[in-house]
Amino acid sequence: MKARIVDRTDVLKIVDQLRQQGYQVMAPFRGRERDSYYDLVTDENRNRIALHCPNPYYPPKRFAFPHIERTMQATRKDGMWDAQATYDIPKLAVFGARSCDIAGLFHLDRFFLGKEYRDIYYEKHRENLFLVNFACTDPELDISKSCFCVCTDTGPAAKDHFDLQVMDLGAEFMVVAGTPAGEAFFKDPMFRKGTQAHVDKRHAVLNDARTHFKERTSWFSAIVRHISQGKVLEKTWQAVGTRCVECGGCTYVCPACTCFTVSDRTVAPDTVDRFRMWDACSFAGFTRMAGGHNPRKAVHDRRNRRFFRKLSHYFIQRELQMACVGCGRCAEVCHGDIGMPSVVEIIRRATSENA
Amino acid sequence: MSSSSTQNIYLPKPATVYKIVDEIAQVKTFYWKFDDPEEQKRFKSSFKSGQICQISFFGIGEMPLSMPPSPTEDEVFFTCRKVGTCSTALHAMKPGDKFNVRGPYGNGFPMEEYYGKNLIFVAGGIGLIPLRSVIISVLANRDKFKKVQIFYGSKDPTSLMYLEDLKKWEKAAGVECHLTVDRGAPGYTGNVGLVGSLFKLPGVKIPVEDTFAFVCGPPIMFRFVIKDLLALGLKEQFIISTMERYMKCAVGKCGHCCLGTAYCCVDGPVFTYEQILRLGEGI
Repeated sequence: MKARIVDRTDVLKIVDQLRQQGYQVMAPFRGRERDSYYDLVTDENRNRIALHCPNPYYPPKRFAFPHIERTMQATRKDGMWDAQATYDIPKLAVFGARSCDIAGLFHLDRFFLGKEYRDIYYEKHRENLFLVNFACTDPELDISKSCFCVCTDTGPAAKDHFDLQVMDLGAEFMVVAGTPAGEAFFKDPMFRKGTQAHVDKRHAVLNDARTHFKERTSWFSAIVRHISQGKVLEKTWQAVGTRCVECGGCTYVCPACTCFTVSDRTVAPDTVDRFRMWDACSFAGFTRMAGGHNPRKAVHDRRNRRFFRKLSHYFIQRELQMACVGCGRCAEVCHGDIGMPSVVEIIRRATSENA
Repeated sequence: MSSSSTQNIYLPKPATVYKIVDEIAQVKTFYWKFDDPEEQKRFKSSFKSGQICQISFFGIGEMPLSMPPSPTEDEVFFTCRKVGTCSTALHAMKPGDKFNVRGPYGNGFPMEEYYGKNLIFVAGGIGLIPLRSVIISVLANRDKFKKVQIFYGSKDPTSLMYLEDLKKWEKAAGVECHLTVDRGAPGYTGNVGLVGSLFKLPGVKIPVEDTFAFVCGPPIMFRFVIKDLLALGLKEQFIISTMERYMKCAVGKCGHCCLGTAYCCVDGPVFTYEQILRLGEGI
């Protein structure tokens, strides 16, 4: 991977160049207090792009796997429904995607594209998506109390799977190219070669950033073992389940969740749009069948599902990584405090008590 | 990431229903074929016993259905009970009506594994639908298998389905076919009792060595039959069933049919009882 140095005042020129190349650029902006969100960059808001900011709750996953997406339109003629696939694939760039979200997208790549069946909608979105990773180095703004990417080994700076990576070194930024498309940017003279001092500075900044995580220890490996071996007792899952209010929030903010449901909408006489949208395994209807039989009737059976899916050895083997990227969003949005770090802790305590 | 060769796996193809047969109350069989002969040919040559299809009714939704026909038969059909919105739409169809289908999906029964073995089929109610496919395939290659026994139970005499097939199986050489109903009715002369009671009938001898048992039916029947079979000495890895789950995509993406570590749609729906136990979310 090649790296270059750019002046602090020039870093947003990457956004300008992406826009010139025809990308719609999504970047983080600040609202009041903790609020932050991704929005489309325009001439008007370009200077308000928040480089350092708390990671927006609504993850950039949606730029590859939209929250709701029309997949086909069917029209009826002479009693026959003719279904045509519809693709609404904007040429998008995400400027400022955090390392955890980059890891989340890579997880989605493996899930949607790495199996016997490839998902063509995801594939098309992904082909048209340019990713600029922003390394989390500001202890006040970037690293929230729930961040734990140091435990999942997905941050604070992504190692791969981005087109460009930007890291704040103080007066200057280091820009790393992860793909040929990213490297093409380095033709611009505003990027200059770095020195050993820059590399040393990068290490120093990252080492310092790592010390600012509040959740610095997590017993993931032990929990993976307990869950994979079925060592977690039913009563432990029940204890987790009773704290779940079945809002589905953890799933909707998760950068690595993939489940969706499909729904039809009649939009005109003899015209039906078929949509797919995110779904959450905490909902009772997620597994309920037509006859009313629900194999996961109890809340804790459904809650158990989320953690089993993310942490069992089998799925890690299948996808070559945990389906948790340490963004900490579930911990921040959960009303019952059963986000990932809490559940890891609950299981660790319960299982060591029984050991 | 080249999309040039990627197929859209979610796009269903138009098909036409040409014959509808009433089976039992709320259950009908729908004979259909794809409108595109090429698609029909591809489907016929690829589908295996035990696989499933996704049936679409635009404006209503999509549902998975198991495939009762055997690849050895010419015609393709679904048998379905009217339960939810999609199956109600299916039941509202008349011959000549069109709908959309995609598939086949799932692992299907690994038929070669069963060569040279004794086969026991135990079905309850509409659980006979997925097993019919294997039974027909087995009977079409009868010499490849040892003893073949069919045990089928239903709640009452009017709920016995595939009557034509049952009559044939009862008469067929080299097949033992035992039927029972939970509750008898005037004029009914056959066995009365749960399907497990058939194992204890005089003259019925279930081989334990070299035997595969196929069990399909409502969860309650499944649990009791499994108990009976294990008590007879059968091993978990030789008891086979098909799992039914809510599904949206049937290609391992939507996440609804996930059972422990397996996706019912791509890793199933055919599982051994040993696998079902290991998956941990069972029946």
